[in-house]
Amino acid sequence: MGKPTGFMEFNRELPETRDTKKRLDDYKELYVEFPEKKSSQQAARCMDCGIPFCHNGCPLGNNIPEFNDAVYQSNWKLAIGILQSTNNFPEFTGRICPAPCEASCVLGINKPPVAIEHIEKIIAEKAFELGYIQANPPKIRTGKLVAVVGSGPAGLAAAAQLNKARSYCDCV
Amino acid sequence: MGIIIEAGDAIEVHHFATLIGYGISAVYPYMAFETIRQMVKERLLKRADLADLNNNYTKAIGNGLLKVMSKMGISTLQSYQGAQIFEIIGLGDEIVERCFPGTISRIGGISFDNLAKDILARHQLAFTHANPNNHRLPVGGLYQWKRNGEAHLFNPETIHYLQQSTRRGDYDLYKKYAHAINEQSEKAITLRSLFDFKKREPVSLSEVEPAESIFKRFATGAMSFGSISHEAHSTLAIAMNRIGAKSNSGEGGEDPIRYEKKANGDWERSAIKQVASGRFGVSSYYLTNAKELQIKIAQGAKPGEGGQLPGHKVDEWIGRVRHSTPGVGLISPPPHHDIYSIEDLAQLIFDLKNANRKARINVKLVSEAGVGTVAAGVAKAMADVILISGADGGTGASPLSSIRHAGLPWELGVAESHQTLVLNNLRDRVVLQTDGQIRTGRDLAIATLLGAEEWGIATAALVVEGCILMRKCHLNTCPVGIATQNPELRQLFSGDPDHVINLFRFLAEDLREMMAKLGFRSVNEMVGQSSDAMKVKDILPTKKLESLRLDKIIQRIPESDEHGIFHKKNQQHLIKEVLDRKLIEVAKPSLNSREVSVGRFEINNTDRAVGAMLSNEISKKYDGDGLPQGTIRFSFRGSAGQSFGAFAASGIKFALQGEANDYFGKGLSGGQLIVYPDRESSFVPHEHTIIGNVALYGATSGEVFVNGIAGERFAVRNSGANAVVEGVGDHGCEYMTGGLVVILGDTGKNFAAGMSGGIAYVYNAGSQFASLCNMEMIDLEPLDFEDISLLKQLITKHMKFTGSKRAETIISDWADHMSLFTKVMPREYKAVLASRKGVQLKQTA
Repeated sequence: MGKPTGFMEFNRELPETRDTKKRLDDYKELYVEFPEKKSSQQAARCMDCGIPFCHNGCPLGNNIPEFNDAVYQSNWKLAIGILQSTNNFPEFTGRICPAPCEASCVLGINKPPVAIEHIEKIIAEKAFELGYIQANPPKIRTGKLVAVVGSGPAGLAAAAQLNKARSYCDCV
Repeated sequence: MGIIIEAGDAIEVHHFATLIGYGISAVYPYMAFETIRQMVKERLLKRADLADLNNNYTKAIGNGLLKVMSKMGISTLQSYQGAQIFEIIGLGDEIVERCFPGTISRIGGISFDNLAKDILARHQLAFTHANPNNHRLPVGGLYQWKRNGEAHLFNPETIHYLQQSTRRGDYDLYKKYAHAINEQSEKAITLRSLFDFKKREPVSLSEVEPAESIFKRFATGAMSFGSISHEAHSTLAIAMNRIGAKSNSGEGGEDPIRYEKKANGDWERSAIKQVASGRFGVSSYYLTNAKELQIKIAQGAKPGEGGQLPGHKVDEWIGRVRHSTPGVGLISPPPHHDIYSIEDLAQLIFDLKNANRKARINVKLVSEAGVGTVAAGVAKAMADVILISGADGGTGASPLSSIRHAGLPWELGVAESHQTLVLNNLRDRVVLQTDGQIRTGRDLAIATLLGAEEWGIATAALVVEGCILMRKCHLNTCPVGIATQNPELRQLFSGDPDHVINLFRFLAEDLREMMAKLGFRSVNEMVGQSSDAMKVKDILPTKKLESLRLDKIIQRIPESDEHGIFHKKNQQHLIKEVLDRKLIEVAKPSLNSREVSVGRFEINNTDRAVGAMLSNEISKKYDGDGLPQGTIRFSFRGSAGQSFGAFAASGIKFALQGEANDYFGKGLSGGQLIVYPDRESSFVPHEHTIIGNVALYGATSGEVFVNGIAGERFAVRNSGANAVVEGVGDHGCEYMTGGLVVILGDTGKNFAAGMSGGIAYVYNAGSQFASLCNMEMIDLEPLDFEDISLLKQLITKHMKFTGSKRAETIISDWADHMSLFTKVMPREYKAVLASRKGVQLKQTA
């Protein structure tokens, strides 16, 4: 686990949002830069519960305590590996998920919950930056070809799963 | 010939223990080393030196093995190797007969084919065709709940239902919880999930005894103040006292402020007071304030291990309640130093019964093969209650190797104990109680049918108080203020006695519904009706489970009409005509109006636990303070029986001319005990043994002067008494945490082992003394200025009270003799004393 006393030492903190007027002019990131150290402190707040309610609350079943610990250790490769084992698009969910994980976070019983969604996004961004997000075509295919109709997040996720299951896949 | 095994699946301590326990000389766990190598490669570890990391792993496994061996009372690997001290659960005869002949395996189980399938399944997970670039093994989830991992009874769903139902007082929601726990279907987490009830003639619910009369059969588990916070502990006590059930102090003593009822009628006093091997705070006053006294022989979840409280959890308050030094960690010794046989246990039961006649004496055993025989012995030793504790309970702070691999389910232990007691016509004399993850009315019904008429509930009660099974109980960081002493975290505690009461009301109602369905009007009617009301499920969820032999668990042993199959009569404790009845008569003036009483008595070795009952009378009236020193001055002549001066309270001054047997001054609680040889004897006192073994065990305060040598294990777990003695046997001052011991003669070996507090002064110890000491926690030092006056004072008193010639020689030429004393000082204790002094100096400056 990250830091046993992390939740007593650090408060919940999220990056600030950019000025609304400026934001209206572009499609860039909503948040201003957030130092890596601060993200690591946010991850240190995770208590690695015996029963991780976050992991239960997450519709995807993300292994949240594990990736929190990896972020606390600044091991981005491990973090993205854990995250991708349950989640095809952390870069989406890290931004637009309603985060039921945070609503079920045990720390949330009497303190502001761990900033799980933010950590998820940071992992995805960092992984892109470090080149860990790569195409992973299977060496052997089943030979089946599946068409996925629609290529929003759901369609792309379905395609990614089919790819993992060694099928050929076309999004239309 | 040595056998070396090379295995990929030997990973954790238990694997190594099992291999060595069945004769292996060395293990090469190649997969573990490969894993470490891989972790280094992937930068998962902070350090990168592979050799060091491998060494660390080997060392950790070695330490784990030491712990396992010490639990079994084994000191050398040679004795453990091939000792085969295991019990098998779930392996079929085919495997047991071929691989583990002679090992107990009571319920049968899987075959070689099943094992092969499991291994193949694991192989397929490792060598799958999935993308090797992002191939992750399943998460496991043995120690932490995982969505796709091992099934646990407490999971997000059941915890949510339980907390919400008890907070809202919503019985329907509780039923959802109970359903989720009971319906284990394919997972079959517990043995009881494999049983079913038979169809019987029902009775209407209104005919079943009311919940209120069932409440008295409930207890909460023994969790000490120290392991859990004051708030969590006292909330349980208040709830249980409100409904006439019993909470348990645990082994950490209890703050006397809790003995007084509050203005609103609430009572934080724990009805059950535990007496464990550490004897923390076990004084006459403590024992007096109890409805039940529980002797903890072992803990279901970790048999063989004593409790451990790390130093950072021992704050000022806990230190005071446990009569120990704040900041110094506390270790309960694995055995009770006054119990080495069933007769010794009978003696302790007798001592406690004298110390509180109204209290039931409960002996806590753990479920294991052979517990039935032990239970029969305990029943004959006059216990009023026998608790069979199951393996699944109390795992919060247990070592990982104990959580899954030590202890057995209570179903086996209760069935065996009940059946053995019935067979030996002993069942009617005792109450049989059980605990270990009892969660629902169905669990209660099965426990009752198997023979338990009372039940303990601990984890479920903590969950109601807010516990969310963090499993960080050992770290002092519990975020809901339960298993922590951190004031900041304690403030976050949100438990409420009403919620706890709701839990027990729901459990009782749930049980009543079961009883109605099965046609039982009272719990007594139901106890032990195993095969009449339950059976193994007709259809078991998996093929694997069909190989289990469960019939013996539910078989019914025919009972005699006279003795029956549930608790019907009380034990005939032999306390009607003890010497203390006479002492109490003579001490009337002191007891009634603090006047001095004086008396002379002949004593012989059938007079046991002299002073315990008298102390009980003092504690009842004068609380923990007792009477002023020397109010009751009794002298005895003869050979005193066991436990002379046990729990002697303040105000008692016993002078014994003659000698005393074992357990002299056990649990001394402020009294003064003096022994000197009979005036007609001619031997030299400092050359002869005058009191038996295990004197002063668990003493909390008081003074002892012995004009002669004491036996072995003198002043073990002494936490505050001062003693002068003219020689001791082996293991003197072991596990001591406070008080002063002056030894004017020889010591045996292993002196001061595990001594974390208090000071010992040894006279003329000689150069070989260091080799007799266990130096792990202590230093040997010369006296300093403060010691000298204190020592002189004590020895002068010794001379005055006993007429000791040796003391006279020393005092008459004090200047020469004082330099002959060696001071035995625990290191941790010294550091704490020094830092305290520093604080005091700062305050005065």
